[in-house]
Amino acid sequence: MNGFDTKIHLLLTIIAPLVGGVVAWALGSRGLSAVRQSAAVSTLATLGLAGWLVIRALADPALAAGLPVALVEVPWLTGDFFNVSLSLGLDGLSLWMFGLSALLSVTAVFVSWEAVTDRPVGFYCLLLVLESAMLGVFAARDILLFYVFFEFTLVPLFFLIGIWGHEERRKAAVKFFIYTLAGSLLTFLGLLVIVLWSTAHTNIVTFDIETLTDHMRTDPLPMTAAGGYLQMVVFLALLAGFAVKVPIVPLHTWLPLAHVEAPTGGSVDLAGVLLKIGIYGFLRFSMPMLPEATAVAAPWLFALGAAGIIYGALVALVQTDLKRLVAYSSVSHMGYVVMGLFALTPVAIEGANIQLINHGLASAGLFAIVGMLYERFHTRSIANLGGIAAKAPWLAVFFMLFTFSSIGLPGLNGFVGEFMILAGSFQRAWSGVSAAWQTWYLSLAVLAVVGVVLGAWYMLWAVQRVFFGPSREPPRHGEEPAESLDIRRHELVALAPLAVFVLWIGLAPGTFLGPVSASVRETTGEAAIAFAARMAEEPATADIVERPTSPSPLAVLP
Amino acid sequence: MTSLESFSLLTPELVLLGAALVAYLGGAFAGLRQGWLVAILGIAAAMAVSGGQPAGGAAVASGPVSIDGFSIFVRWAVLGIGLLLALVQSGDIFAAAVSRGPGLHRGGTCEEAGTFLVMLAGMSLVGVAGDLVLLFTGLELVSIPTYILLGLKRTDARGQEAAIKYFFLSLLASAVFLFGATTLYGIAGTTSLAGIADALQAAGGTSTAGIATVLLPIALGMTVVGTAFRLAAVPMHFYAPDVYEGTSPGNAALLSTLPKLAGVVVLGRLLALGITAEPSPAGIGPAAMAHLDLFWQLTAILAAITMTVGNIMALWQRNLRRLLACSSIAHAGYLLVGVAVAAAAAATQAASPLGDVAAAELSWTLGMGGMSAALFYLATYVLPTIGIFGAVAYLGHRWPEWTATSGPRPPREEITTVDDLDGLSGTNPVAAFAIALFTLSLAGIPPLPGFWGKFTLAASALKVDWTSPLVSGSRRAWFVSLAVILAVNAAIAAAYYLRIIAAMYFKSTKRGVQADGGLAGGLAMLACLVLVAMLTVQPRGLLAAATRAGKSLTSPVPAAVADESLAQMSDAGQERLTGKPAIP
Repeated sequence: MNGFDTKIHLLLTIIAPLVGGVVAWALGSRGLSAVRQSAAVSTLATLGLAGWLVIRALADPALAAGLPVALVEVPWLTGDFFNVSLSLGLDGLSLWMFGLSALLSVTAVFVSWEAVTDRPVGFYCLLLVLESAMLGVFAARDILLFYVFFEFTLVPLFFLIGIWGHEERRKAAVKFFIYTLAGSLLTFLGLLVIVLWSTAHTNIVTFDIETLTDHMRTDPLPMTAAGGYLQMVVFLALLAGFAVKVPIVPLHTWLPLAHVEAPTGGSVDLAGVLLKIGIYGFLRFSMPMLPEATAVAAPWLFALGAAGIIYGALVALVQTDLKRLVAYSSVSHMGYVVMGLFALTPVAIEGANIQLINHGLASAGLFAIVGMLYERFHTRSIANLGGIAAKAPWLAVFFMLFTFSSIGLPGLNGFVGEFMILAGSFQRAWSGVSAAWQTWYLSLAVLAVVGVVLGAWYMLWAVQRVFFGPSREPPRHGEEPAESLDIRRHELVALAPLAVFVLWIGLAPGTFLGPVSASVRETTGEAAIAFAARMAEEPATADIVERPTSPSPLAVLP
Repeated sequence: MTSLESFSLLTPELVLLGAALVAYLGGAFAGLRQGWLVAILGIAAAMAVSGGQPAGGAAVASGPVSIDGFSIFVRWAVLGIGLLLALVQSGDIFAAAVSRGPGLHRGGTCEEAGTFLVMLAGMSLVGVAGDLVLLFTGLELVSIPTYILLGLKRTDARGQEAAIKYFFLSLLASAVFLFGATTLYGIAGTTSLAGIADALQAAGGTSTAGIATVLLPIALGMTVVGTAFRLAAVPMHFYAPDVYEGTSPGNAALLSTLPKLAGVVVLGRLLALGITAEPSPAGIGPAAMAHLDLFWQLTAILAAITMTVGNIMALWQRNLRRLLACSSIAHAGYLLVGVAVAAAAAATQAASPLGDVAAAELSWTLGMGGMSAALFYLATYVLPTIGIFGAVAYLGHRWPEWTATSGPRPPREEITTVDDLDGLSGTNPVAAFAIALFTLSLAGIPPLPGFWGKFTLAASALKVDWTSPLVSGSRRAWFVSLAVILAVNAAIAAAYYLRIIAAMYFKSTKRGVQADGGLAGGLAMLACLVLVAMLTVQPRGLLAAATRAGKSLTSPVPAAVADESLAQMSDAGQERLTGKPAIP
């Protein structure tokens, strides 16, 4: 696997979509097909680069040890007072998300193949810029660089929804943007406090995430009344942005609107990758840097995760719009991920990690097929569709596959994630918690199991109504020739890779779990220990665990 | 201390005034275009004779003139802004020449350019003033030409209303400011800023109580309120929407940039009265301490109210210039955050008289003090703002919807509302892209300059009293809340900024845009676009310049140790970055 330098490889992967964007823009005058072909070529090339990089990273023993690989470090905003660098790299937490971003970008281009004819240059350029930003978010190893990518992803998606979306697109775009921005600005303040704290305690200005994590370990933010519960304050600030992004109920209201109004390509990226950035933020920042606050908040966030599962499922059950149904299923499924994360057992957290990818694949596939149906019939209403399977058998096959993946059929990827999350949650209920909390965890875990049943109900019911049953095809749009309604070549390119991974993760999850586990242990170990310590004190007092802090914050200064 | 020396320090200002004279005299022989050519050449000449920023040294004072790193930064800012504004302003003229409507006046004279140059000279004088009288003179030298430009540009009722409104309120603000300045003179018995600072810091005994409880609140309250007019900050903010709406894009660009700079400079000079270059072991004295405390409280409260009021007012605006006026009010609030932080940080430092080295060092790590952040923010605010007004000036008019069958073609309409920008991405893609980029920068979206500006402001606010616990009511809690209010406001602001973008990109229109505003406005827009792009990629240079400027104001060094401490400072910076001591 000896190729060129991994640094350059990583940089190239992130820059490739931008280059593709410039090419697409330059080809703008040649018309739609030239533009979309160039976009397809650049996303495929990026996928190739990213896939090769993932393979090279997996071969690197450092990754298995939980260390980042393919490190790039270019000073950017340096001087006496800032020390921000273009610092990139991949580790177990980010590796699969990085690959997933590249994969879903290909899907996003191919599902838009015929759907987007209005101003294609702008559309594909924005899609490529978005891809670059998504790759950047997961590769960033500098806290400010992460934030720059994190917030910048809003801009291309804002335009994608606002220009190429459906009827309510303007409202959806603005709501999406403001909701997410409001949350992430508070996140930004929280991240700044972390940097300031580390600067004050070590006299070293650094924005490097790894170094900051180390500093936070040796000098944690105070979790005492005397210290103003600063750690909790910062945790809540970070939560504001990440919870909106995930979204954790009750901060989810932007999501159904944004999804329903977005063009299919935008929905694919939004559901597949952008929702994951919130969870990734918890894993990357909240849990390793603020372990004690995480331990305090974990039971409540666990409950919000369970609430999201049930709420999302119940709302999905009564939807009449297929796309809206899939959007609410996202709310429900992200609930599992939140639950797994804050169960704080290794199995559950690894399950949450793998579930991130699973949900990315399944929901992207479902949104893609809903988009294809809309292209054919110009409706998303479940009542107006019926018996599609007879006319478009392959579409039905793919839809069934992603449905089964999302409801957790054994043998497919969804099962692996959901099983691990549920197992981990029950494990948490039975070990290391006091009697009162045991009831809490146990009842919530049972609720999550109920959620699995509900999930199967609303998804299968929708499949039954749309794909089977009496044919209720609405009048087709325009005077198109009676060509086949089944899957077309470009649609196959969009869906097949997703299906491959759905099966692959389902059948051989070890390949994907292996590199994750070392990093997960590394980043969440502190939080789990803090949680155990807190629970150990539980019977005596419900107060917050105090950790010894250094005598004076400035004692370390020379 | 000869007056000749004072004049030699003022060479760039004198060059500007000289160019103004050329424009006035030449007006008898030449037209307007030549006038603006003189203006641009005059500014370029003034730039050529402006020195660079002294590397952190002490102020050079002579008579009423005092030049330090802060003044030099202000001078360069004035000249740079002046160059861009000259383009936008001359854009107005072209628009006027082709206008069919009664609004903009036709022709125009060379004197406009001269008046504009006088205003720049006045603005630059504010920066170098080391004396209350020169400071006030400089401010008036900014105000009076503004009345003329406001009155000249538009001759319709609305334009005249704007001019008159601005005139009376500006007079009121000047009077209020002068009252405060007189009180300062009453405290110190001198008009020299250095003298007043000495008097404040030396005040002791029975007179202190009187100064601190009676005179200082009056002096500060009056001067700050007087200055709030120039910043368009609460409580003197309400004129902005009416005046911006009534005047031309060029004048609106001018009003939203130069007076703001003046406001920040005046507040900086006032704040510095409580700061000394050579701290005595006994501390700075109770009167100076009261000054700093009062100052940060006043500016922090005004900052919080101003940004909230500005943003909420902006949410309801349909008129583009009114909307930008409200947004400029909100940005005045952000700027005030920086000023308040600077005062609070100075108060913290003053409270530890022997100079807590660690605290002082920390106050500079991670992005500068409040004053530097305010100056940096000002720059990141000014560029997109001038860019938007430049673009509006360039776009000029648009045609009403019209079909050949519906009668004669109606006259063109000036672009006034946000809706007039509908579908601009289709008709004028470059202008639409530029406006979108400027708007996103004003909204503070990374990695655009506005984000770097808000970043430095928030970081400086979070850093106030860092070592003390975060308990409610403490100074630290105040500034943490201020940072949160800033963040929330940035989110509110996104709502109306996005409306502009949504109009340009998400709507379509059948109305063509004439783009008859002349190339000068477009040139200003492109120049701002390039500068914004450069700052996006690498804001380091501007950051360093703003840092030096703010530092020379809020932690001045005595002349003797200036060079030595500079060397140390960069060593310390080196050490902080690498974690290793600098190589000797």
